[in-house]
Amino acid sequence: MAERAVTDLGFGLGLRSQHYPAILEGTPDVDWFEIISENYMVDGGRPLAKLMAIRERYPMVMHGVSLSIGSTDPLNMDYLARLKALAARVEPAIVSDHLCWTGVAGLNMHDLLPLPLTEEALAHVAARVDQVQSFLGRELALENASTYVTFAQDAIPEWEFLAEIARRTGCRLLLDVNNIYVSAFNHDFRAIDYIDAIPREAVAYIHLAGHENNKTYIIDTHDHPVVGDVWQLYAHAIQRLGPVATMIERDDKIPPLEELVQELAHARKVAAAALKKQAQVA
Amino acid sequence: MDLLRTEHAFQDGLIGRSQDVLRVVRGNARESAETMFGVYRKAYWARLVEALGNDFPALNALMGDEAFDRMARAYIARNPSQHPSIRWAGRRLAEFLAGEAPYRDDPWFGDMARFDWALAFAFDAPDAPAAALADLAGMPPEFWGTIRLQFHPTLDHFGVSTPVDEARLRLLENADVTLDRQARCDRAIMVWRIAYDLKFRAIDLLEHAALQAMQNGATFGDMCELVAQQVSPDAAPLRAAQILQGWLECGIVATVGHEGLGSAA
Ligand SMILES: [Fe+2]
Repeated sequence: MAERAVTDLGFGLGLRSQHYPAILEGTPDVDWFEIISENYMVDGGRPLAKLMAIRERYPMVMHGVSLSIGSTDPLNMDYLARLKALAARVEPAIVSDHLCWTGVAGLNMHDLLPLPLTEEALAHVAARVDQVQSFLGRELALENASTYVTFAQDAIPEWEFLAEIARRTGCRLLLDVNNIYVSAFNHDFRAIDYIDAIPREAVAYIHLAGHENNKTYIIDTHDHPVVGDVWQLYAHAIQRLGPVATMIERDDKIPPLEELVQELAHARKVAAAALKKQAQVA
Repeated sequence: MDLLRTEHAFQDGLIGRSQDVLRVVRGNARESAETMFGVYRKAYWARLVEALGNDFPALNALMGDEAFDRMARAYIARNPSQHPSIRWAGRRLAEFLAGEAPYRDDPWFGDMARFDWALAFAFDAPDAPAAALADLAGMPPEFWGTIRLQFHPTLDHFGVSTPVDEARLRLLENADVTLDRQARCDRAIMVWRIAYDLKFRAIDLLEHAALQAMQNGATFGDMCELVAQQVSPDAAPLRAAQILQGWLECGIVATVGHEGLGSAA
């Protein structure tokens, strides 16, 4: 398959096993799929076979959850070797993970845990991104995770932290507009300020997802459709960034593929309208 | 607090070892640090319990949701995940159930966990073709004694003292099905995969011993001797040949080697 810049992939969905038959038996209006890397770091069987069958028809992006780029444990080289082997097989447009850590002392909490936003953490993460990029021999994209706490020692806003990681390492950013919305609500900052501070050229692609609002805080559950406020924020992001590959993530209460394809059609509409508006302003 | 100490305090807070983390995390204008940190703590336990429920569906049905939840939390407290993929979190669950009160008092738990785990393992173990009965056809009799087998990479087997092989499907269809929980047996279960289909079969202890011996590199001749210790010497060769035939027919053998081929392991 011809190489295309990740930014130009168009509109994608997270690949979920429930949808394998619908994808392979139909022609859903989806431009690309994002896979959860860890789900396919296996030796054989149905998951790998389906993955490769779908890969023959669609471009893919690999999205991991266990890189643990911010952990003070050493990088897990065994994990990285498996990630690299999977990338050689899948030939993804890009490999991404999260700005977070997942455990220390050899344990894995299987969650995207928040980092204190300090100079120390910044230097630590930047050094590890360098290490990972040179091991994989390719660019990494880092995603902003939803967070529920901040730290007493925080000294750098998250958007500056991410922008600086990208500047120091040349890595790309995976902008999760829902996560920005969730963290902005949880920590009382303006989501628009976050988006406006992100360096345009660093953005590789955008995540959209739904969440659960508990009134006093929001949990990023990925089990609902994208909410109105997040669509607005997405429109703002596209107006500022121009066309960027975009996808919808649904991790729980997964509906039939058709429903997500319709939600994706809405994303296409919102993006088109935002680009039109951008053209009028320019 | 530096990054290393912050992360250790955070993790200790999640697994319940200490709450020092509350000195460095902040909530928001509406909720305390404790409440907001609680979002992470609850999610940690809930996510692992859910993952174990997915990998041990029959054990979950056997115990019921409440008891399974309690058991899973006790297991996770003792065996936190060390693998990048959450699907390995239950690696030690059968062992835990067999050794830990009160679960060890009911062998159904350890047996069912072991069975669920073998099926989860076989699901995405390496692909490999299986040998067929035809691979033995035309083999000169003098080479039979030197036959060695390589088993299919999806194969797992284990002894059980409860008839979980008969109960598992019934439980998955209906978690409230009435089982004779006093029932005991003495046999083994083999689990493997053909293409994408999971298979299992109960085998007697003699066949299980033969399987273990062959997996450890014994020849068919060694296996015949082992069988002869259990059945009459006259019946042994036939019984051993039947066992071998059964393995080839069901697809658990990857390759057959013998000295005549020069390919014996
Ligand atoms: Fe995301």
